[in-house]
Amino acid sequence: MDLLIQFLTNTGYYLVDFRNIIMLLIGSLFLYLAIAKEYEPLLLLPIGFGVLVGNIPFFKGFGLGIYEPNSVLHYLYFGVTTGVYPSIVFLGLGAMTDFSSLLAMPRLMLLGAAAQMGIYFTLLSALALGFLPREAGSIAIIGGADGPTSIFLTAKLAPHLIGPIAIAAYSYMALIPIIQPPIMRLLTTKEERRIHMPEMRDVSRVEKLLFPAAGLLLCCFLAPASIPLLGPFFFGNLMKESGVVDRLAQTARTAIIDTATIFLGFTVGASTQADVFLTPKAVGIFFLGAVAFSIATASGVLFGKIMNLFMKQKINPLLGAAGVSAVPGSAREVHSVGLKSDPTNYLLMHAMACNSSGVIGSAICAGILWSFLV
Amino acid sequence: MYGLEAISAQNGWAMAVAGALIVMAGLTVLSLVISQLHKVAAFLEKGVEKRSEKKQAVKTAPKEAVGPKSPAFDTDEAQARLKPLVAELGESFELTNLYELANSGDLPHVHLSIRSLRESGVIVPAGDGRFVWRD
Repeated sequence: MDLLIQFLTNTGYYLVDFRNIIMLLIGSLFLYLAIAKEYEPLLLLPIGFGVLVGNIPFFKGFGLGIYEPNSVLHYLYFGVTTGVYPSIVFLGLGAMTDFSSLLAMPRLMLLGAAAQMGIYFTLLSALALGFLPREAGSIAIIGGADGPTSIFLTAKLAPHLIGPIAIAAYSYMALIPIIQPPIMRLLTTKEERRIHMPEMRDVSRVEKLLFPAAGLLLCCFLAPASIPLLGPFFFGNLMKESGVVDRLAQTARTAIIDTATIFLGFTVGASTQADVFLTPKAVGIFFLGAVAFSIATASGVLFGKIMNLFMKQKINPLLGAAGVSAVPGSAREVHSVGLKSDPTNYLLMHAMACNSSGVIGSAICAGILWSFLV
Repeated sequence: MYGLEAISAQNGWAMAVAGALIVMAGLTVLSLVISQLHKVAAFLEKGVEKRSEKKQAVKTAPKEAVGPKSPAFDTDEAQARLKPLVAELGESFELTNLYELANSGDLPHVHLSIRSLRESGVIVPAGDGRFVWRD
């Protein structure tokens, strides 16, 4: 009988408390959004299931939980806490990204830079709300709208906040179709949204080959702390563009990035154990994350309008919203808002240029914040 | 500590301004550099073209001198030179005899001439290793 009672007291049914229930509901919501609504399913499905796994109550000390040394989950989580998974994801991203549109129209890169202002605004907001500088830096990077970059920087500066920050970053990335369009419409007139962008010129293979080297040297000399992200990123792109290692490039943009994404999403989800995740700080992080994302979108759009004051060839300010590095979600949203204003206005390729510039910009910002706060 | 006081105490203003300026400057420089990449690419491509043209010239020059199928080789002239020799050898002849005869007569490019006449169907096999001349 004692054995049975002991067994029952060790089950999840006995150990569960209301916080676990809340987190299980959040995990289920993520799964619903991923499967039924198809909002960023590649991210929300592994994270959502990870949340379920991480919030099954268990008897501490058995080496089961993600925060318990020697547990299987702890070993898988190693890739997150050391920043290994984000680097691998960046390698795959580089092998996927086509910089032709950015090379054809380099001035669009400025929109990617402008959208990073959300990061610094959020840094100030987080400090004002009483977060410690390292925590504030980690929260601020949510404004870059780049999940792997947010995880990478948080792992370096405030590892105890990885769960809430990763969940906030990925949630807002999934909610791009809800967050960005109202801001875009609010800050632009119908005439501005109807501006057609010029045809892009053809980009030669040599330009595409030179870009990864030029980008790596310029960005990493400026912010060496961004090497772990931008190094693999530009390496992946060189593999793609060189055309001599197609097998490697193909593996990087499929098997390697997929494997890293699975483990990244799953372990980040599992790291949201109720007792660690449901804190007043997490609420603050979610609030600041929304602020960061909105300000980043607004900065890009407003900078587009400012550029139009000085340039002969006007650009569509909607493109500024794609300066956040949520690839390709924000580019798709820009394209669809542009199409709604004028069904013949195709902005996707130009928006992708801003998007890829945003990836580089947010990685540089992560390097800068790491240098400032470490 | 909260609010503006917290920002000032943690050096927040300086970090935000410096960070924003650095990323803006960095990406501006990168955009300037990549706006010039097409010139670098054109320069490099020009160099590659020149080198390959040179290589091409070196490769084609000796071919013209020895190429058996070179359009510069005059088959009619070879035919005119060899026809009297073939008349000496009789109606059918062996190629080795023709070769030796032409060689002894100091005719130029003997091997090349015989080969081109074989390929153009002027010298045709008559069986048993012998050949006949057909105009």
